[in-house]
Amino acid sequence: MKRSAADATLDPAALPAAPPARRRRAPASWSLRIGAGLLLFYAGVALLSLVWTPYDPLAPGMGDGYLPPSREFLLGTDRLGADILSRLMAGARYDLGITLVAVAIALSIGSALGTIAGYFGGVVDTVISRLVEVFQAFPGLLFAMLIVQAVGPGVPNIILVLSFIGIPDYLRLARAEIRSRRAWPYAEAARMVGNTPWLVAFRHLLPNSAGPLLAFTSINAAFVALVTASLGFLGLGLDPNTPEWGSMIARGQDGVMTGEWWVSFFPGLAILGLTGAFYLLGDALSDLTDPRRRR
Amino acid sequence: MALARMILQRLLWVLPVAFGVVTITFFAARVLGGDPTELYAPPEATDELRAQIRAQLGLADPLWKQYLAYLAALARFDFGTSFTTGESVGADLSARLPATLELGLVGLVIGILAGIPLGVLAAVNRERWPDFLVRGVTLSGMALPQFWIGLVLISIFFVQLRLLPGPVGRLPIGVAPPPPVTGFLLLDAAFAGDWVLWRMAAMQLVLPGVTLGLTTLATVARVTRAAMVEALQSDYIRTAIAMGHGRGMVWFRYGLRNALLPVVTLLGGVAGHIFGGAVLLESIFGWPGLGQYALQAIDHSDFAALQGFVLYASLLYVLAFLLVDILYLLIDPRMRA
Repeated sequence: MKRSAADATLDPAALPAAPPARRRRAPASWSLRIGAGLLLFYAGVALLSLVWTPYDPLAPGMGDGYLPPSREFLLGTDRLGADILSRLMAGARYDLGITLVAVAIALSIGSALGTIAGYFGGVVDTVISRLVEVFQAFPGLLFAMLIVQAVGPGVPNIILVLSFIGIPDYLRLARAEIRSRRAWPYAEAARMVGNTPWLVAFRHLLPNSAGPLLAFTSINAAFVALVTASLGFLGLGLDPNTPEWGSMIARGQDGVMTGEWWVSFFPGLAILGLTGAFYLLGDALSDLTDPRRRR
Repeated sequence: MALARMILQRLLWVLPVAFGVVTITFFAARVLGGDPTELYAPPEATDELRAQIRAQLGLADPLWKQYLAYLAALARFDFGTSFTTGESVGADLSARLPATLELGLVGLVIGILAGIPLGVLAAVNRERWPDFLVRGVTLSGMALPQFWIGLVLISIFFVQLRLLPGPVGRLPIGVAPPPPVTGFLLLDAAFAGDWVLWRMAAMQLVLPGVTLGLTTLATVARVTRAAMVEALQSDYIRTAIAMGHGRGMVWFRYGLRNALLPVVTLLGGVAGHIFGGAVLLESIFGWPGLGQYALQAIDHSDFAALQGFVLYASLLYVLAFLLVDILYLLIDPRMRA
């Protein structure tokens, strides 16, 4: 109700004419539809794989080794005779799950720290910004490899490492957004009616920065999914029998040299669909939230 | 003069960043990492033997002493000794840098030479089929793991078509490298006048270079397209068209030159990707560069080698950004004011 109190102090006649009510929302673009649809599809497959896959994804010897795609094994079998389609389905749990959780953690911590640094400035800001700069001097994948090797294997560890390397980017973006909004009239108004600085920063400025942050989150999720697959490919952090897509590509690497291309080929397409969906969604979100790009 | 001062300022800023990187890698590797003693001690080793091995590896001192010793050594440009190769890490890294750089430069050149025209092509045909085609290519290039692209190219051009050599490194197996001058095989072979060798080295470079080039061109084309679209809608372009300039003149002389700034900004990040991606790319193609060295160091908990590599890569990364800033200054006259 603080808003109405603020309104009452202003003389309506002194204000410029209110802009016309915002136009109806833009029609959902193709990238939004395809991106969101693909993500839903992957989520559905991940859930389905909990209750049903054509064969046991973890068991070898469902058929002979290196069977080409056929009616019995739609995408063929790998060196150990495990069914590739079943493994791909189960892999959605790993690649999608790890990515989503890691990105959610990085977004929460990064934007909270960034909001504090951006709104309050001063020593806190200097310290945080300098730290960020140091962390950003590491190429991301490299840093992930280093810490995954250090903290040891396991899905929770991978998630922690991936969210940790993501934090600096979110922090930097949130800081820049909050700083640019700090002096806007609505921030000024929120302060004037007596909100505490924390409330102004987190209740008024942060939600208004949600658009750019979410658009970046989607693009960043594509990167995180690629790093997850890369770690799996290098055999870092996960048991090599895990049906994670990167690990599956690694298992098929020998087959590629002898002509059994399908073992590595299909997991790559699965990754393409997931990261592509995140990119499309990110593009659509930045088009929606950045007025300069809405042409 | 402003330029010289800025470069100096940025170079000085590299020092605290390097210090931070060194500190973080040191503690990340030591505190969290495994104990390499286990790798070198036989399972039946007595405690004394283990202690002796620890002392030999320099791990017996308290952590802060190890850290200070490491910093002191670094100040003398001594990166320590690798447990696995037994050589000085600095020498190891310098020996492997040319392989990574040669591949990285080839990938970067392919990416720029193909990416910028593709971006322009898409922008001037906005929302028509060339645009959709280019956007599809760039999206796939960014969304696909580089190692997968590499494997698919190997599968097509080496395994199926037998057009290009297999992933066995910089030269076919059993071929001796040219006398080292720069470490770049293409240059060294040319200096030696050995064109047969030059051709072999070039053929080995094609697949990994194109793999790296594809991922690079995806990002370059995407940014070029976006910047070009924006440039083409600006007033000066309308003026140029109204003045009757031809399309080539308008696109390239007025449009592209203004659209290049974001592309240049991007290149610093791309250079970083090349070093980060080197680890995966080199493991696919058996390329004896920095990435392979890092992977080996990670496998063996080889602290000195690992820290050396991360420091090396971060410094190159920071340097790439510095170069980009300087380029920016040279291109954009507004920055020089």
